[in-house]
Amino acid sequence: MSRKVPIALGGALALAALPFAISDFWIFIAIEVLAFALYAVSFNVLLGYGGMLSFGHAAFFGIGAYAAALLVKKAGMAPGLAFALFPLAAMAAAALVAAIIGFFSVRRSGIYFGMLTFAFQMLLYTIALKATGLTGGDDGITGLKPPGAFARPAVYYYFALAITVPALYVLYRLVSSPFGTILRALRSNPRRVQTIGVNVRSHQLAAFVISGAFAGLAGALFAMSSGNVFPGWLNWTASATPIVMAVLGGVSTFLGPALGAAVYVVLEVMISGRTEYWPLAMGVIILALVLLMPAGLTGLARARRT
Amino acid sequence: MQSLLETFAQHFAWMHNPVVVARQALAGISNGMLLFLIAAGLSLIFGVLRIINFAHGALFMLGAFIAVSLSGWLPDGSASFVAMLIGATAGLAVIGVAIESGLLRRIYRAPHEFQLLLTFALVFILGDAVKLIWGNQDHSVATPPLLVGSTQALGVTFPTYRLFLIAAGIAVALGLWWVLHKTRWGIFVRAATMDRAMLGALGVNTRVLFTTVFALGAALAGLGGALAAPVVSIGPGLHVQVIIDAFVVVVIGGMGSVMGAFVASLLVGLVNAFGILAFPGLSVVLTFACMAVVLIVRPWGLFGSPE
Amino acid sequence: MMSAAVIPILQVTALAKRFGGLQALGGVELAVAPGEFRAIIGPNGAGKSTFFNTITGLLRPDSGRVIFEGRDVAGTAPHLLVRQGMGRTFQITSMFPDLSVRENLQVALLAHARRNWSIWPYARQMHTERAHELLHLVGLAGDAGLPAGTLAHGDQKRLELAIALAGEPRLLLLDEPTAGMAAQERIESISLVHRLATQLGVSCVFTEHDMAVVFAVATNITVLHQGRVLAEGSPAQVRANPLVQQVYLGESITSEGVCR
Repeated sequence: MSRKVPIALGGALALAALPFAISDFWIFIAIEVLAFALYAVSFNVLLGYGGMLSFGHAAFFGIGAYAAALLVKKAGMAPGLAFALFPLAAMAAAALVAAIIGFFSVRRSGIYFGMLTFAFQMLLYTIALKATGLTGGDDGITGLKPPGAFARPAVYYYFALAITVPALYVLYRLVSSPFGTILRALRSNPRRVQTIGVNVRSHQLAAFVISGAFAGLAGALFAMSSGNVFPGWLNWTASATPIVMAVLGGVSTFLGPALGAAVYVVLEVMISGRTEYWPLAMGVIILALVLLMPAGLTGLARARRT
Repeated sequence: MQSLLETFAQHFAWMHNPVVVARQALAGISNGMLLFLIAAGLSLIFGVLRIINFAHGALFMLGAFIAVSLSGWLPDGSASFVAMLIGATAGLAVIGVAIESGLLRRIYRAPHEFQLLLTFALVFILGDAVKLIWGNQDHSVATPPLLVGSTQALGVTFPTYRLFLIAAGIAVALGLWWVLHKTRWGIFVRAATMDRAMLGALGVNTRVLFTTVFALGAALAGLGGALAAPVVSIGPGLHVQVIIDAFVVVVIGGMGSVMGAFVASLLVGLVNAFGILAFPGLSVVLTFACMAVVLIVRPWGLFGSPE
Repeated sequence: MMSAAVIPILQVTALAKRFGGLQALGGVELAVAPGEFRAIIGPNGAGKSTFFNTITGLLRPDSGRVIFEGRDVAGTAPHLLVRQGMGRTFQITSMFPDLSVRENLQVALLAHARRNWSIWPYARQMHTERAHELLHLVGLAGDAGLPAGTLAHGDQKRLELAIALAGEPRLLLLDEPTAGMAAQERIESISLVHRLATQLGVSCVFTEHDMAVVFAVATNITVLHQGRVLAEGSPAQVRANPLVQQVYLGESITSEGVCR
């Protein structure tokens, strides 16, 4: 306990001072890291804690992004109001979609659960692609700009921090709560959970909705920062990202996936900057991760310590 | 009310035209046969190895690209076409052996997210490898001279090559049926799709079985790619597209069932062919909706076995 | 066997369940009085597992009634039955291997305290006293911090018993509670269950193959055969019953077990 406090304080200070130390370009990257850290951690609530492997989690990241984009661009609201509401709107939209998808998906387990999430995501992808009037089709929605001072990277960074940190804290309390213990029991032995008097399906659905809602928030945060959203965010290959980040960081700790997200984003930026073959690099990294470093980065750190 | 019925009926106006119906049916069946080649391997790999091979579309794509290269090196002609088919099939079989024994084998006991990640990694790597080797542009392969042009079938004029595809698909299906039902290996494969634990008890060499099943699946995908080469635009990104319909087929047909893959491929091919006429734009949504419904109501599909 | 004034804690009437061509249960009649330690015995395929699964809500009976504490519970969801006071252990040990021994108890206690939807308070320190009490009762207090999956088989069974007891059941159904144990361990194990059940006022129904175990602790025995109750009574009565002896193929049932 005593070692964690100075580390936490140091980390908090570093996060707060960051915009003063780096260029605008890297502030954008830092914002991306925050959004993807939230995305990865919320995904891990489902995987590392609940034991449910979703093949279609990018659906919620994408829904959140589209919800924010539509609110800002097409709802006809004052820009300030739209901006104030977009995080909530994104979470609500993602939660609603997650409730529908989850209701059907948690009735099955394992592979069938995964394939159901995949099917629903592809359904949403097709809609995003075809409903050109609403979603802009293949062109997506572009020109998303936060109003006034929020358009400045440093300001948006603090805004993203102000959303991400409390969101992560809420998720932390969730997994440390009695509900969180039930989730971990669900991962360990779902059938046994039934026989301690708990309705398995409803708890799995709740975890699914919460995980989806926070993924939606992450998607919206990122969309507003990058200024656009595209249907490709909903394509099935996009669902690899949260899994990679979570496993890279380590699924057995709460913040492991956040670390994985940071490493992933930075790697992506650095490699994409030098070559167009980022997918190839990512594939090789994944292979190395899966074959050589299964416990992720946090697992590596733990092994070093003992 | 009247106008509603009329509008609805408009979607099916094409039914009055037997030429259109016949042509779409043949198109649907020939596309279905290509789908079958991908889906059969995918289904077998899942049935025996219990792995969802997201990279299967990439294997199909590799087959098509190998055909591209071979067609570039060899002179036009039927013999070259056969060589292309053999080359793609054999090449993918070898690649399949390499992937299974070099990579997949190490993670059979790992948590499912690792298996998923590995196949995703292959998607990314193979997708870019194809770009590196063959460049970013689209390629095409000429239809073999013997199969050029059109023929009369079902009262309509239809591309000969596509009729050949139908015949080829049926031939492969029969061949697969023979292998699975009349050879010792095939019986083990079918047993594995039903009850893996039993195999160990029977003293079957599961290592070899897994490798050969994956190799067969890859080979089928490669063959499919080579057969599809003359009628498909071969470019990077092909692998992301084809896997989707293959999953729909495998889910509807039943994971692990080749018969199911055959029936479901025909179904999906026909639904797509007629869906485009009836509800252009929506037919794609229809396939995913079907997939979801099957998974909700009867996840082991038409011919699979509930676990 | 039971005086008319005593309300049975579990009463089963005309319970039937068919699987395709097999009539697994063909009209089972049974009544368990509070405080009983009832053994259900019978050859393999007699319907013991189906019987348990039907009572605990995992299977829906085709016909018949299951009355628990005077209430008809046929068709109730399994997790609700647990809430209503019916606990269960499994033949193949079922607990939470990734959680620590202590956490296994905590999660059961949290569920029992209806805190499973509580999403804000820290769960780590909740119910630790009661968890330790229960672990002490079954003799696992020293292993509280270990991952449950690393326990020896016998200890896992004891953990499973503690988890079931955490729900404060009034009726405990134990499916082959001594499966996989050596003979001496079996007697010790069932004696522990019997002692705790008596201490805590829990009625028990358990299935068993080993006659030594049955005769050591059972207050009453029900013999199932081909989905029906063949005989019922005190251990002495059942032992002497010619039908029962016949069912076990002309073997005599002695306190040492079944002789062939």
